[in-house]
Amino acid sequence: MRNFLVKSIPIVTLTLFILIMLSGNILKRPLGKDDNIPETIQSIMQDVESEKWDKAYKRTEQLSNSWHKIVRRVQFSSERDEINGFSMNVARLRGAIMTKNKSGAYMELSEAYEHWEELGK
Amino acid sequence: MNEGLVVFVRSIIGFFSLLIFARIIGKQQISQLTFFDYVLGITIGSVAASLTTDLSSRAWPHWIGLLTWASLGYLMEFITKKWRYASKYIEGEPAIVIMNGKIMEDTLRKMKYKVSDIMELLRNKSVFDLTQVDFAIIEPNGQISVLKKAQYEPLTAKDMMVAKTSAGISTELIYDGKLIEENLKQLNKDKSWIMTELKKQGINDASEVFLATLNPAGSLYIDKYEDHIKKVTDIGDYKGPY
Repeated sequence: MRNFLVKSIPIVTLTLFILIMLSGNILKRPLGKDDNIPETIQSIMQDVESEKWDKAYKRTEQLSNSWHKIVRRVQFSSERDEINGFSMNVARLRGAIMTKNKSGAYMELSEAYEHWEELGK
Repeated sequence: MNEGLVVFVRSIIGFFSLLIFARIIGKQQISQLTFFDYVLGITIGSVAASLTTDLSSRAWPHWIGLLTWASLGYLMEFITKKWRYASKYIEGEPAIVIMNGKIMEDTLRKMKYKVSDIMELLRNKSVFDLTQVDFAIIEPNGQISVLKKAQYEPLTAKDMMVAKTSAGISTELIYDGKLIEENLKQLNKDKSWIMTELKKQGINDASEVFLATLNPAGSLYIDKYEDHIKKVTDIGDYKGPY
């Protein structure tokens, strides 16, 4: 029993650490109804394309809320720069939508998507 | 992102990973480490530090670095244990720098040691006079081993033809006021024996004792919590906060 514990405790500990460090790719996937980041980005892109600025603004707020939820899950397995990069994109996107700046909104959305793709990789 | 919390979790990952890897790599004493072992230790420690506080990159690549260095360290240890030829190449070998009292200049040059280095190492071994040295060997860990000439070796009981019994290794019977019954059994003693011995020294209970040891020759050492020493000798040479 003692020999079993001596070997199994380090193995279980290291496995748990590996799972924590690699959990980002799994935990960034939607677990509820309101935390699907790629889908929200797509919807905002469509709203910006058809210049529905009010709807786009609401969706940006939704994106921001979803993002805050996801950050709590992926913070242990992701780079701070990717997380901060995405947060900055959301802030700038909000500004671009407020000033109805189509090209600015597209730039921020594309960059945010890129940060999303790299998150936890 | 709660940076404090992330650093806390990463610290736990780094600390226990390092502990497990260090246990796997081996239990060599610091004094036995070769120069490469030092470098290995410093690098692994540095990678663990980055894993903990460098939040600009993920913990995973740092952990892989830690694992790779630790695995290579283990592999090197395994190879040197199984293959003497490789061991000679990787860890180096002892080199005789003083032979029959004569300094081996070529060996010194090869090992990149100055005579002053050898003198310093000899002084560390309490040898201040080169004429006393028969052999001096630089070990792979950089330490020097000295064999003095026979006439300078200390007199031993064997030289005097005196028979001495081995004192053996002391075993703890009481530590921090608690009786260690396992050790008592090992020495074929029981609780009543130790209590009788304690009473002989005016001790009524094991809880009054900080440390009690017994060696195979039968001599019992007892240290009580109350030392009754009024003036403790201060070995400090200048005033400090304590």
